[in-house]
Amino acid sequence: MLFLGTTIDGLQMGLCFAVLALGVYISYSILDFPDLSVDGTFPLGGVCCTIFMLRLGLPPLLAVFLSFFVGMLAGTVTGLLHVRFRISKLLSGIIVMTALLSVNLALTKLLTQNGYTTTIFSYRSESLEGLFDNTFLERWLGEGTKDYAILIILILIVVVLKIIVDLFLKTKMGYLLRATGDNEKLVVSLGRDAGTYKILGIAIANGFTAVSGALYAQLYTQYDNTSGSGKVVQALASVIIGLAVFSGLRFMKGTTSVIFGSVFYSLCLNYLVLVDSDGIYLKLWNAVMFMLILIFNGKISAFLSRRSRAEKKGGLPHA
Amino acid sequence: MLELRGITKIYNPGEITEMTLFRDFGLIVADGEFVSVVGSNGSGKTSMLNIICGSIPVEKGQILIGGKDITKVPEYKRYASIGRVYQNPALGTCPTLTILENLSLADNKGRSYGLARGVDKARIDAYREQLAVLGLGLEDKLHVKAGALSGGQRQAVALLMSTMTPIDFLILDEHTAALDPKTAEIIMALTDRIVREKHITAIMVTHNLRYAVEYGTRLLMMHKGQIVLDRSGKRKEETTVSDLLGLFNEISVECGN
Repeated sequence: MLFLGTTIDGLQMGLCFAVLALGVYISYSILDFPDLSVDGTFPLGGVCCTIFMLRLGLPPLLAVFLSFFVGMLAGTVTGLLHVRFRISKLLSGIIVMTALLSVNLALTKLLTQNGYTTTIFSYRSESLEGLFDNTFLERWLGEGTKDYAILIILILIVVVLKIIVDLFLKTKMGYLLRATGDNEKLVVSLGRDAGTYKILGIAIANGFTAVSGALYAQLYTQYDNTSGSGKVVQALASVIIGLAVFSGLRFMKGTTSVIFGSVFYSLCLNYLVLVDSDGIYLKLWNAVMFMLILIFNGKISAFLSRRSRAEKKGGLPHA
Repeated sequence: MLELRGITKIYNPGEITEMTLFRDFGLIVADGEFVSVVGSNGSGKTSMLNIICGSIPVEKGQILIGGKDITKVPEYKRYASIGRVYQNPALGTCPTLTILENLSLADNKGRSYGLARGVDKARIDAYREQLAVLGLGLEDKLHVKAGALSGGQRQAVALLMSTMTPIDFLILDEHTAALDPKTAEIIMALTDRIVREKHITAIMVTHNLRYAVEYGTRLLMMHKGQIVLDRSGKRKEETTVSDLLGLFNEISVECGN
């Protein structure tokens, strides 16, 4: 029972962070921009979503939607610092991340002034009626789905977002975005300012990060100012493990790979928590797993692509 | 008409390594000319191209296109009327995009890159035809990523891409230098055909003296930031590779090599 619970928790976390992974896929994998501002944008999305719901009384889904634009704003700042003021990629991210720590604290004050506690909202309280308290699934699928309702809604959200990203990357603007990460000179010789598209990409990536933070706040019905720490490492690990493990499978798109990467990573972390119940070593596990992934990255994908090619060959006589 | 007027270019100004490449450099290229540029390393050939395209700033002087001063126009805006092929085949295409996606991207130059579908399906046959003309078998590889192609194939696609939409100038920066002799020959013939068919004004930097002699309507030789030879029309046609080699040797002797 404990194991099943841990698995479901891990899946929920993994899907929640899959949205973050989609964002980091855009910034890190497509634009070749390791964006550290993620650590600040993640809680920013959470606190803004909470404010939208508690202070402004907006519906939960709208609150998530609006968080996207707040995240984009933060990403635009990172992008501008790098493109227009020529600050290095890492430093632009660090500057925005540091600034956001204070911004998030200040925003949290908006909540205390209204008389709510800063960080912890009790489960399914009236004050934070989240996206995940919806009961429409029960009405659709019957009582039995109740335990898995959160999971099903999360899957729906992640799939919809994945499809949106896939479709976007197939538009003209999407092509240009991919070209920007690939070959800036080509974008310039097409008569376009590569910098603008870099800023756009970082903005979108941070939009997804904020959405992930907003979902996280609703999933656990609490907002925590420290929830951002270590998110860069986690997201990068998800993206790298996803692409490393699944890039050998040709039919799988990058977006699908990183979602699986995120779920896999969260599951592993959750099982580790079973062993280390204090959670003291959580960040250490985080770092160690990331390290192992980086070390074995090439080997896993080489192994898998060999297997998938061998299977293809083996399958030929039947075809 | 393209004109460089009184260009001064200084590398690393104010530092110990300060080097003046151009001092009061001037060049006029008439519409429809196909200019081949040769010269030793460091003579300023590529710098000249970079100055025309706006990839590097100049200390003094003006760059004019059709009489209009574009000295302050940023690089990306100048490419609205300029196509460019680099020496490195990797710079002309996007490795993670397929050939079809690359061609679609280039085909859209000059129009807005919005949220419309990236590939115009109605154009696929036209792309296929253009690829078939190359004779490299690329017409069957539309869905192959450009990164998986050989240097010559990539350069051919890059050349197609840079001349796909109407442009006034084609800048060729040693675009055959990284290719094997046979592929270089194919790319050179293709270049010549595109330039003639589309009536583009072209400037080609090359280290291959034979190409410089055989192709183009005008021949420039550069040395230390100056034009030491400028032949066009009949005089250009009479110029041979050995003439150029002779001049090269003369220059080298002057340098004490």
